[in-house]
Amino acid sequence: MLLELQSIRKHFGGVAALRDGNLSVGEGEVHLLLGENGAGKSTLVKIVAGMLERDAGRMLWQGREVFLKSPPQAAGMGIAMVHQESLLAPHLSVAENIFLGREERLPLGWVNRRRAIEQAARLISEHRFPLRAEWRVDRLSPAGKQLVEICRAIQHGSSLLIFDEPTSSLSGAETQEVFRIVAGLRERGMGVIYITHRLEELRAVGDRVTILRDGATVHSGALADVTTDEIIRHMVGREMVSLYRRDPLPPGPELLRVENLGRRKSGLEGISFAIRAGEIVGLAGLVGAGRTELCRAIFGIDPPDAGRILVEGAERRIRSPREAVAAGIALVTEDRQRTGLCLQLPLSHNLTLANVPGVSRGPFLDHAAERRVTAEYVDRLRIRAASHEQPAGRLSGGNQQKIAIARWLFRKARVFLFDEPTRGIDVGAKTEVFDIMNDLARSGAAILMVSSEMPELLQVADRILVMRQGRINGELPGRTTQEEIMRYAALDTERGS
Amino acid sequence: MIQRLLPFLTLIVLIVLLAVASPNFLTAVNLSSVVRQTAVINIMSLGMTLVIISGGIDLSVGAILAMGGLMGTMAMQAGLPISAGIAIGIATGLFWGGVNGTLVTRLRINPFIVTLGTLGIVRGLTLIISNGLPVHQVPREFSFLGEGTLLGVPFVLWILVGCAVLTHLVLEHTRLGRYTYAIGSNPEAAVFAGVPVKANITAVYAIAGMLTGLAGMIEASRLMTGQPTAGAGYELQAIAAVVIGGGSLHGGEGSVVGTLIGALIMGLLSNGSDLLGISPYLQQAIIGAVIILAVTVDEVRKRRTA
Repeated sequence: MLLELQSIRKHFGGVAALRDGNLSVGEGEVHLLLGENGAGKSTLVKIVAGMLERDAGRMLWQGREVFLKSPPQAAGMGIAMVHQESLLAPHLSVAENIFLGREERLPLGWVNRRRAIEQAARLISEHRFPLRAEWRVDRLSPAGKQLVEICRAIQHGSSLLIFDEPTSSLSGAETQEVFRIVAGLRERGMGVIYITHRLEELRAVGDRVTILRDGATVHSGALADVTTDEIIRHMVGREMVSLYRRDPLPPGPELLRVENLGRRKSGLEGISFAIRAGEIVGLAGLVGAGRTELCRAIFGIDPPDAGRILVEGAERRIRSPREAVAAGIALVTEDRQRTGLCLQLPLSHNLTLANVPGVSRGPFLDHAAERRVTAEYVDRLRIRAASHEQPAGRLSGGNQQKIAIARWLFRKARVFLFDEPTRGIDVGAKTEVFDIMNDLARSGAAILMVSSEMPELLQVADRILVMRQGRINGELPGRTTQEEIMRYAALDTERGS
Repeated sequence: MIQRLLPFLTLIVLIVLLAVASPNFLTAVNLSSVVRQTAVINIMSLGMTLVIISGGIDLSVGAILAMGGLMGTMAMQAGLPISAGIAIGIATGLFWGGVNGTLVTRLRINPFIVTLGTLGIVRGLTLIISNGLPVHQVPREFSFLGEGTLLGVPFVLWILVGCAVLTHLVLEHTRLGRYTYAIGSNPEAAVFAGVPVKANITAVYAIAGMLTGLAGMIEASRLMTGQPTAGAGYELQAIAAVVIGGGSLHGGEGSVVGTLIGALIMGLLSNGSDLLGISPYLQQAIIGAVIILAVTVDEVRKRRTA
């Protein structure tokens, strides 16, 4: 065995993040690490990568017990991690990022730029990555940045690589690319620990699987021996209704109409569609197809330079989010940590932020009203928090998302743009988010839902718009297939034919 | 929780130590002189608290203080009543604060740069207007603002408490305050939630300017002079008070109570050093070290709980 973890324990303050973490990874093995958010996956791999020290338990590396105190120490032994969020220096080149902190030591701190580029180019071509060593990192797509991270991790002959949700920001072809890379690493005899939330992608990459629940390993074994249903059962500890099914509603009046909308800088062109009250319309497409850009254009963040937006039948001039909000539009952003919540501020402040006048008298805040409103929505959306004063940043992803949504419920928005509403939240919370969307539709809201998870769109959406290269390439009924969506998303075809 | 109270505990310890070390410390004369000496910085630091919570910074307050004091005293010299002079001083601060806010929000330039620029502009204009000369001809009654007493308590203490209470009310009980925290914590999230970010930021700088104008009049009253070179370096002391009191230069954090404690700690350190005969050169070094120490402790606390 390359790596063996036995009964690992880790506490943060009074909270046990890991109670009984067990994991073993062999050479030439891709080991999947699964579990809901908060199950302890990240804590476990951080211990492996030297980012955290364990409280108890044993870690054996190539048969010998080790105590890792820092990531460089782990890297020196051949353990490296590819991070979930890009930890790259955006203004530097691909080559500079790959060797950042590990530049060749020359006198006077001199850096041999040309040699670094050559070495990086060799590494890139060896793995046939679609990258160039001279490119600046901030110009790369999320997938490109991921590749740089991978190069960083593998450049100095690691024997164990840890991938923390490598495909969460990727889609379709890019995901396949990551799978190909992982398979290539396996062939070279490396061990790979692979964390993912996407159950549908398991079989394409993994050999063995370890499932964590509430900080303890509950299952470990060959992937071929477990069904996906069993995996889900292990993760959540109870039978899950694996498919979300929503009752279609009779559509009401048209709430949002977008006509011929375009924005050259965002690459958007000729976009027209309409959503009626009670409808959930899916917006599918590959990364870079312009889905987020479309949401930003409608919401006035990047105002369109062509076309019209009509809300409830009336044309609205929307040049800023403020005007979008005034028109009754809500945007639940893709990245709630960066653009959604004020992480230091209490849950209640985040919840009322879009409608502070709703909890004020004149210019003054009505704290009692705010407490009532908070209690109401915490209860209604089953937001789990220690108190209403708890900083939003301390809540789990699912609960953060609920606050981001609750904000707009309290604002009484009618048109909802959900950008990747289930990203980074666990299976249970996903179902709850769908429930909330369903209730919203039933109460007469119009919903546009961007998602890279095609099964989710198929479960939730009444219709699905598919974007490709800044245009809407096709519209499909809700009961279509993933293959059909992919055809419109990936093929340069008029109406997908 | 204990760590949250740390600035407060430090203050108590400091008071106890000084009371033990020097018999002159806990006397009415000494304490009222501490209050008078620190009132100007304290009032400025209240405005700075708002600015820093909003995620900004204001380097121009020292210069604005000088121009406020100069305009106010010039008005009095020209024969206007004292109240009008004070109002003109405050209005001068309000105007320049508004300019800062407008530049920050309209040009979308980093507030550090904007206020570094206005620092130069305001200081330069002040010297041009005054021809570099102080204004001495002010009515004798004007000294009441900085040196008078009301009900046995220095008048500036009443002003400071009044300003502090108002600033606290703004922060905790008005929409303006709520938005200020939100903008400082995550400006993008605030924009996306439909918060009137630009108006709010402009208001924050305007308030800071206004308080600085008032501080400028108090300074002028204490000196009985409109001094065009007044207030140099005060901006750094005001920033230090906010930061020692738990404000974060990343925005979203800070409080009036914290700032007052921070300002008091600095004031007492300097007063205590005087009483104990420590050289003023060393005082500066001590205060500098305290700033670093305070922020370090605060950062460690945050990292541990994050």
